Amino acid sequence: MRGDGDVTAKPAPAPDTFSEPYWRGAADGRLVLPRCGQGHLSYPPGPACPRCGSRALVPTEVPGAGTVYSFTVVRQSADPAFADDVPYVVALIELDAQPGLRLLTNIVESDLERITIGAAVEAVYEPRGDQVVPQFRIVEGRGE
Amino acid sequence: MNGAGRGVAVAGIGSTVPQRKGEPDIRTLTLDACHEALDDAGLTPADVDGVFQYSFGGDAPIAISTQRMLGIDNLTAFNDIMGTGPSGLASAMDAATAIATGGCETALVYRTITTAAGHTGVLRPSAPTVGGAMQFTAPYGYAGGIILGMAMRKRRRIAELGGSIEDYGHIAVNARTWAARNPRAVFRDPISMDDYLSSRVIAEPLLLLDCDYPVSVSVAAVLTTEERARDLAKPVVRIDAMAYGTGAGADWVFGDDFLFGGSIPCARELWRRASYGPDDLDVAQLYDGFTHITISWIEALGLCGIGEFRDWVDGGRTIGPGGSLPLNTYGGQLGAGRLHGLGFLTEAVAQLRGDAGERQVPDARVAVVAGAQGPQAGAMVVARD
Repeated sequence: MRGDGDVTAKPAPAPDTFSEPYWRGAADGRLVLPRCGQGHLSYPPGPACPRCGSRALVPTEVPGAGTVYSFTVVRQSADPAFADDVPYVVALIELDAQPGLRLLTNIVESDLERITIGAAVEAVYEPRGDQVVPQFRIVEGRGE
Repeated sequence: MNGAGRGVAVAGIGSTVPQRKGEPDIRTLTLDACHEALDDAGLTPADVDGVFQYSFGGDAPIAISTQRMLGIDNLTAFNDIMGTGPSGLASAMDAATAIATGGCETALVYRTITTAAGHTGVLRPSAPTVGGAMQFTAPYGYAGGIILGMAMRKRRRIAELGGSIEDYGHIAVNARTWAARNPRAVFRDPISMDDYLSSRVIAEPLLLLDCDYPVSVSVAAVLTTEERARDLAKPVVRIDAMAYGTGAGADWVFGDDFLFGGSIPCARELWRRASYGPDDLDVAQLYDGFTHITISWIEALGLCGIGEFRDWVDGGRTIGPGGSLPLNTYGGQLGAGRLHGLGFLTEAVAQLRGDAGERQVPDARVAVVAGAQGPQAGAMVVARD
């Protein structure tokens, strides 16, 4: 049990009914998001489409391609489990699959100068406990 | 109150002196602020039949505890509002609705908050796995409440709408300029733009002086019908209009409008309901838990166009003493301490009554007040006839 005494383990996601397809997809190295009958993709995965309220959602694989919407460089983390990771980058990534569809994630990149708003990124997958969490890395030659 | 039934007025205001140190009892804080507000209104606890408070939970006495401590026989309306609304302003908004619709006649509202509550902010999960909403944030080291989100907003705003880091500095410098004129403010020394720019980096590009300062404090107000307020001693400050706003896909991280949250739809509805427009304002009291929030309220409320803050603020002259629209005249939360929302309303009332002492804006008659932002936006127009 990671309680008051253990602050070294980074938290892993605990899937629920509606997020299970997403995390299962991530374990396979795929980005799987709920999609409603009108074609809206949504994130985070939940019980209904936040655009139209539809509860008829189909897990749908989308390309792990996007651009940096915004980011921050964390040099002193409020979570001690990330103390050895600083500086690390927390970012919002806008997926190419749908305008305005954003994921909160990390950008895995040692050269911070390469990270700019609009830079092209692609998903990479990091094992975390029993799960896998999607992160992103900067890719060359495709940006705004 | 336009569009909501009976007219509602703010009849009394009170607060304790914000404390940076110590662990004051929240019951003492609350009673001190409530009694001051009642005395200010010329009323007694026997006149109160509604109590509304906003808190994170545990940082303030619940409404019925305060009722009991004040010796009030019965309440016909009350509510404990959790920390998912428009900050402490929510207590007054809820009370105004209750009074306008006949739920009660005279309501006491308060926001009591302590430094301990101010520092919690969901710092880290306490289990190896996290479910709920945090399963999509905590695995990425997104910790410390909304701080990282505010850093990303600041960077995005500059990239998308133009402007510079200095724009944010004008909000921070202005807060201290006014705080120097408020005997109760925790930071009474002015700061320069250089002080702002050289302050510690919290999370790039968010600086220490972009963030408000946690204190232990209680702020209270007495709201009653406009009709009753006219029989009381103090000048009548009417709640002319108010509105909430959340925006589509409402969420602090994943909401559709990352920069403005619900502030734009909130402002649109506020002005639709109000007897006044942005050009009628004499003073503005806009939430400043982070400097980004204040800038986005200024633009959302149409005080200038979206992305035009830099030109509008004119190097800080617009919002400072003697400016065309004095802003956060008690020092805001950046200068006076985190009164958490309700302080913006009590300062507006003090200004409209002409009771603001050294920081008084001459002949202020119409004010706009805004609480929180993101998916928890709320705002009011208050006026003295």
